[in-house]
Formats: sequence, C-alpha cells, structure tokens
Amino acid sequence: MVKLRAKCVVVGDAAVGKSTLCQMFRSDGAVFQKNYTMNVGVELLEKSVSIPDTSDTVEFYIFDSAGREPFADACENMWKQPSVVCVVFDISSEVSFTSSGRWIDRLRSHCDGLHVPGVLVGNKSDLAVRREVDGAEARAWAQTHGLEYHETCAREIGQFEAPFLSLARAFHSLYQDQMQIVQSLV
Amino acid sequence: MLDAALSSYGAHVVLAISSDENHPPENIIDGKTETFWISTGMFPQEFIIRFPDNMNISTVSIHSYNIKRLRIEKGTSEDADKFEAVADTEFEQTESSLQANDISVNVSNTTHLRFFILSGYDHFVSVHKVSVQS
Repeated sequence: MVKLRAKCVVVGDAAVGKSTLCQMFRSDGAVFQKNYTMNVGVELLEKSVSIPDTSDTVEFYIFDSAGREPFADACENMWKQPSVVCVVFDISSEVSFTSSGRWIDRLRSHCDGLHVPGVLVGNKSDLAVRREVDGAEARAWAQTHGLEYHETCAREIGQFEAPFLSLARAFHSLYQDQMQIVQSLV
Repeated sequence: MLDAALSSYGAHVVLAISSDENHPPENIIDGKTETFWISTGMFPQEFIIRFPDNMNISTVSIHSYNIKRLRIEKGTSEDADKFEAVADTEFEQTESSLQANDISVNVSNTTHLRFFILSGYDHFVSVHKVSVQS
C-alpha cells in the first residue's frame, strides 16, 4: 500500500467555478456554493482518492488559486513544484477559454522541467444554451498542450471528481514508472 | 571510518515524511544500495538519522536517484528540535546509474543529521545508502 502526495494547483479566470469544483470534490458533493465569493489568495484543500484496482491512494493538496489580477500575481509564489495542474474555464465564456493558454504557460514555468500531468476543465456544462466554446475544439486544444480534457458541471455527482481522478491516476502511473526505473538500477 | 551499515552501529532513521511500506526508511542505513527508501510525492522531503553517540563526521556518502538539491543539517540539541545547515549541494542527474556523492560536512559532536531534499529531477526520489566517515 502506497500513499502518494500530490500538490495540485488549480488556476483559471475569475468566476469560472474553480472554488466550487474544488469544494465539491473535497466534500464529496456536500458543499455546493450557491453564492459567488471571490478568492483573493490561495485556498488549500486536502482530499484523498483511492486508485481503482489497487490499494494505493493519492492525497491531494489542492491549491485553489485566485483568478483575478492582481491577486493571481500574488499567488504565483505558491505554485512552485506542482505535482499536477488543473486549468479551468467556463464553457459559456470564450474569453475564459482563450486565457487557458496563458494560465498553462504560467504554470509550466514553475514545473522545473519536470513532466507534470495536467487537465483542462470546461466547467458549467449545464449552461448548454449559453455555450460559447465548442467541446471538440477545446479537446483538440487540450491535446496539443498535453492536457486531458474534461467537461464538468460542478454540481453533478460523477462529474466534478473525474478531472481529479484522472490526475490521481496519471500521478500514480508516474510513480510506478519511476519505481520500475529505480528497481532496474539496483 | 564507518562504511558498513550505519544500522549495525545503532543508528536509526527517526523521521521520514513519506513512505511506501515496501521501501521503508530503514533501507537507507542498512548498508546496501539494492534496498532503498523512495519519496511519495511533493518537495521538500526530509529524513533524520540519529546516532547512538556524539559523532564527529567529516564526510557523508550518499547513493541516491534523481535528487537535485540537498541540504544537510546537524542537530544541535539532544531532542532533535534544533538544526544548523552544514552543507547545501546540487547533484548531477544520472540516467543509467545511481547518483554517488561524497559531501564534506566537518561536523563535530552531533547525534542527529537531517537530510532535506529540496528538489528533484523527477517527482519521486530514492535514497539507497547513507554512510559517514569521521
């Protein structure tokens, strides 16, 4: 049995639903924030997930980071050495999708050249009538940036966990790869 | 010269902040490079070795994999709550072999050494063997 620890940095434009997504995941769906409160710093949340078909777990330290400048700038020194990253946009806001490139570039500069698994999350998928971002386009963009794409409605059970579970799996498989390399050397 | 297993001299690893139960921290001081302790994610990582007596240590030898920056500190009190840096070093990356480094520390009269791994060439770093020379 192995308990891995992963620092997960969550970024994206203001009001795309980062905190709601993180809070829902942390609370297994018990806490859905109906009122918007702007995050002006980094909120740290802790949550463990089991890796299916193993006895291993990944303990996430989620750094839910403010999206609005200048607060985002001030948060950047908390992003050092992430294990995994999560970029969130709102499918009903083209602007928030366009910003994703800038967010991922900023995050990558803190990765010390390490391969860091990442997801792109198109949130608020329940707002289908106001959709401005095409799902297929977002998926293709994510792929070219080495990210796995997820669409979520943060309030739906079975959706908000998916991006985190995929990050947990990716991090776990990096661990297994590294273990194999180390064992081949001794 | 204590090149043999530190554990046979009564040394213990008294703290390691991450652990895979198949690769416990005791593997660091069993004198073998085949067995190892591996970190399980995030930096920094730390472990502390406690010696049975006050030690004078000139050099620390460490076999490891994927460690980038390492700081070694000596304990300045009996109960391992105060430490003072004695070395701060960056290892070269190796691919097909373990990293083998000798670090000059020139420590006198200490019972604890703290190893602080500040960064790595991978998310996960392993420590295979630590030995000391007086």
